[in-house]
Amino acid sequence: MKYRFQIIPSLCIGCRTCELACAFSHAHDKKPGRSRIYPIAYAPDKYVPVACLQCDDAACVKSCLFNALRRNDETGAIELDKERCVKCMACVAACPFGCALFDDVHDEVVKCDICEGTPACVQFCPTKALVYEKIPV
Amino acid sequence: MRLDSVESLNRLRNESRQRLDARKKKIFVCLGPGCLAAGSDQILEEFNKLLAQENIKDYSLEAIKKTGCHGLCARGPIVVIEPEGIFYSKVKKNHVSQIIEKTLKNGELIESLLYSENGSKKKITDYRDIPFYANQYRIGLRNVGKIDPDEITDYIASGGYQALARVLTEMKPQNVIDEITQSGLRGRGGAGFPAGRKWATCAKVESDVRYVICNGDEGDPGAFMDRCIMEGDPHSIIEGMIICSYAVGSREGYIYVREEYPLAVINLQKAIDDARSYGLLGENIMGTDHCFDIKISRGGGAFVCGESSALMKSVAGDVGEPRAKYIRSVIRGLHDKPTVLNNVESFATVPVIIDKGAEWFTSVGTEKSTGTKAFSLAGKVINTGLVEVPMGVTLRHIIFDIGGGVPAGRQFKAVQTGGPSGGCLPADKLDLPVDFDTLTEAGSMMGSGGMIVMDDRTCMVEVARYFLEFLVKESCGKCVPCREGLYQLYKLCTKICEGKATEDDLVLMEKLSDTIRKASLCGLGQSGPNPFVSTVRYFRDEYLAHIRDKKCPAGVCRNLTTFTINDKCTGCLACISVCPVDAITGEKKKLHVINQELCTRCGSCYDICKFDAVDIQ
Amino acid sequence: MVHITINGKVVKAREGEMLLAAIRRQGIDIPALCHHEAVEPTGNCRLCMVEITREQWQGWKKYVTSCLYPVEEGLIVSTHTPELIEIRKNLLDLQLARCPNSEVIQQMAEEYGLTKSSYESRPDADNCIMCYACTRICEVLGKNAISAAGRGHDKIITPPFGEPPPDCIGCLACAQICPTDVILWTDDNTVRTIWDKKFDLISCSQCGKTTITRDFADYLIETRNLPREYFDTCDECKRKNLAHKMGDIVTAVEEVTL
Repeated sequence: MKYRFQIIPSLCIGCRTCELACAFSHAHDKKPGRSRIYPIAYAPDKYVPVACLQCDDAACVKSCLFNALRRNDETGAIELDKERCVKCMACVAACPFGCALFDDVHDEVVKCDICEGTPACVQFCPTKALVYEKIPV
Repeated sequence: MRLDSVESLNRLRNESRQRLDARKKKIFVCLGPGCLAAGSDQILEEFNKLLAQENIKDYSLEAIKKTGCHGLCARGPIVVIEPEGIFYSKVKKNHVSQIIEKTLKNGELIESLLYSENGSKKKITDYRDIPFYANQYRIGLRNVGKIDPDEITDYIASGGYQALARVLTEMKPQNVIDEITQSGLRGRGGAGFPAGRKWATCAKVESDVRYVICNGDEGDPGAFMDRCIMEGDPHSIIEGMIICSYAVGSREGYIYVREEYPLAVINLQKAIDDARSYGLLGENIMGTDHCFDIKISRGGGAFVCGESSALMKSVAGDVGEPRAKYIRSVIRGLHDKPTVLNNVESFATVPVIIDKGAEWFTSVGTEKSTGTKAFSLAGKVINTGLVEVPMGVTLRHIIFDIGGGVPAGRQFKAVQTGGPSGGCLPADKLDLPVDFDTLTEAGSMMGSGGMIVMDDRTCMVEVARYFLEFLVKESCGKCVPCREGLYQLYKLCTKICEGKATEDDLVLMEKLSDTIRKASLCGLGQSGPNPFVSTVRYFRDEYLAHIRDKKCPAGVCRNLTTFTINDKCTGCLACISVCPVDAITGEKKKLHVINQELCTRCGSCYDICKFDAVDIQ
Repeated sequence: MVHITINGKVVKAREGEMLLAAIRRQGIDIPALCHHEAVEPTGNCRLCMVEITREQWQGWKKYVTSCLYPVEEGLIVSTHTPELIEIRKNLLDLQLARCPNSEVIQQMAEEYGLTKSSYESRPDADNCIMCYACTRICEVLGKNAISAAGRGHDKIITPPFGEPPPDCIGCLACAQICPTDVILWTDDNTVRTIWDKKFDLISCSQCGKTTITRDFADYLIETRNLPREYFDTCDECKRKNLAHKMGDIVTAVEEVTL
């Protein structure tokens, strides 16, 4: 892994720009999909942008009986191979953080893929609550 | 009694030969499929019973030998008395005592049981003088009809396992492959792939495990050559397989026998068990380092399991469906290991090639198709039976010189070669040589050796429909062109037979046939349209008659043919007695009438009527 | 890395991959109804057939299904010759006779110029094209609950003896992978029915929304060594829970810092 995706909840203001950016950057067939990142309030005016933690020992990878979830060594993201996915929802049910979900707009299972190295949410977050940086060697 | 060296095999051979030669006089009772169905086992029993009661000079119980198919099945049950070669045909159980009294005791011939050519009164005593036999050259069938398949010592006495001894002690595996390659032996199952090349490729693949499989599925309707070798000379197959296992480096072999051949399974298993106890199968064969054993694997009644990849799936216990063979079975076959699959006749030929040499084998047959081929001659031919001839003889020679031509004074119309995947060839193709390549150019193929002769009372459209129905039922159903395409081809062919088709249908069928051939996954589909394509090529007029004129020229297709009795009828009751469905009514000396609802258009009444009173429209 | 020629253009292909992948990477549209990345190719539909040749073959060519043919150095591939288009059209013509009511087949046939089949339609036709995708996927996940039974034209996809399959876990993989949506299922409240077998759906312990079947979850827990608790709640509630957990940590850190 060469990169790291970091969440700083104290900086999150719940503006949901990341949600918008994510949905639109994953648009296809002229429709934005469901976002993979969700700022959620844990207290009044206090938010956590919940996004996939790209776990080392990921439950989603373990749960996939068809090897559709694989680590991209460059970006560090666990990517869902759409060609392999049969939408059985095992990963959606297994992920302890609910970060694999069903996009009912496009009828497909989705999860954060760090936008193949240029995460839109990071780009658009106005408070820099989301960081994607190269890990110092 | 384990043979742990070549010397012990040689000793056993000499002993067995002496024992057999000491008793010059022998009685052979054919227990081949045709004769067995006609009750030859009871004839054998009768001989055993009567000879046990009396003490006839030279003819003790050991003189009686049951054998596999002698060959001239049309004349069965067959009994042969050696060394004179006295050929008694159509023998019944109540003839046995006569044979013992007259022939065995007094050397007299029983005229009524002797053979004569069709239409001739002259009797032929020695079967070797009968044209059917005289014109044959037997290699694969060399022992069938001459030995008791249950007696390993018979096989050894006739030279069996001598080739194996030489291979194991004097030849290296590569020498064996070279010999088979130089002999030009091509797969006798129908595809005609060079056996030597197949063995060489398998031997070269890096693997700890390799398999040798014998294809005993013989699914072609009308073919029974492999059955007769399996039942009549099982050791020849075993010996061929052991030689192959040595050449390619295999320890495990299978003989896949179709479900419909239970007797073949019994005889093969006995031979395998005997070979084991004689140290010819199992560990340290004949005292050498080579180990190889054979198991029998039974089919489940599917024609498609004769296809090599489907066969291997079946052996492995899976559903017998073929796979695309872009990676061939010699490289990844049974259990994904390198596998040699060869036909029964191919393996049975191997020991002879080793014994007599590749050069000798190439001196028989043609340049590209060396050696001989066994055929099962069936259908509208006088001498139905088992035939083996050098490659390159003509169809005419097989059907007329050996087969005796078409019976009941009818005309030859076509011959179907190569089973359902083959095709029909008309009279003007009779002078084509029979080999792997020539018939294919003409639109048929030699195939595994089934040869069905048809006369002028055969409708070629109905023949196509019949074989298409067979293929539709036997298709595994995996790929679209075969499952759906052959089905639609069959339905359209049925439409033609019913007189409901148009010329557009014929065009559609030809287009469909092309797609089925090009797109099918396996050989069954790829050659599936052949019954239609070959008959429409040579008998197009017959198709057009069905379509345009709504007529069946041969008088076969039910919807298009009517059998009626005209006023030449004398009321002799002959047709009434032969009608298989009791469709004819009438009294003696009164006009007979055919019930059209019941009539199956079989033509038995037409054939038997001496007064030309039956009209076919 | 090998080099093959596709429709006249020399391209690179990965060693060991099938022609279909190399062809599709070039953006060439080739139909392949029975193909899916999650299962081994079988070559049932024959639509992905291409023409291959080599320089040494002196004009001789072969038709192969690209889903099953591995790339080889020097292979020359044509994907849309007139003969191939004719073959695909005729195959779709046959499919249309088999499944006249399938929209997917109708659409594909139309792309090849067919509005109706040249052949007699199968009576009481369902939409199953016998592609084996459902049986293959069930085999991959290790259950083999359904299979192809019978031979030839009467072949059907069925559970053993036509009864509710004892091995089925209600994961819906077969229904989802079916290219013609033949396999039907219903989710009624907390009960799922597929192949005439009823399954209990897990209800989220927090909001009650249903997720996957109990049997499917149990199968994943056992065979994949996953904690049971992961499956008790739905994804939405799990996100909320994570937010709250993280929020607790943030609050605690703030308190400490303060």
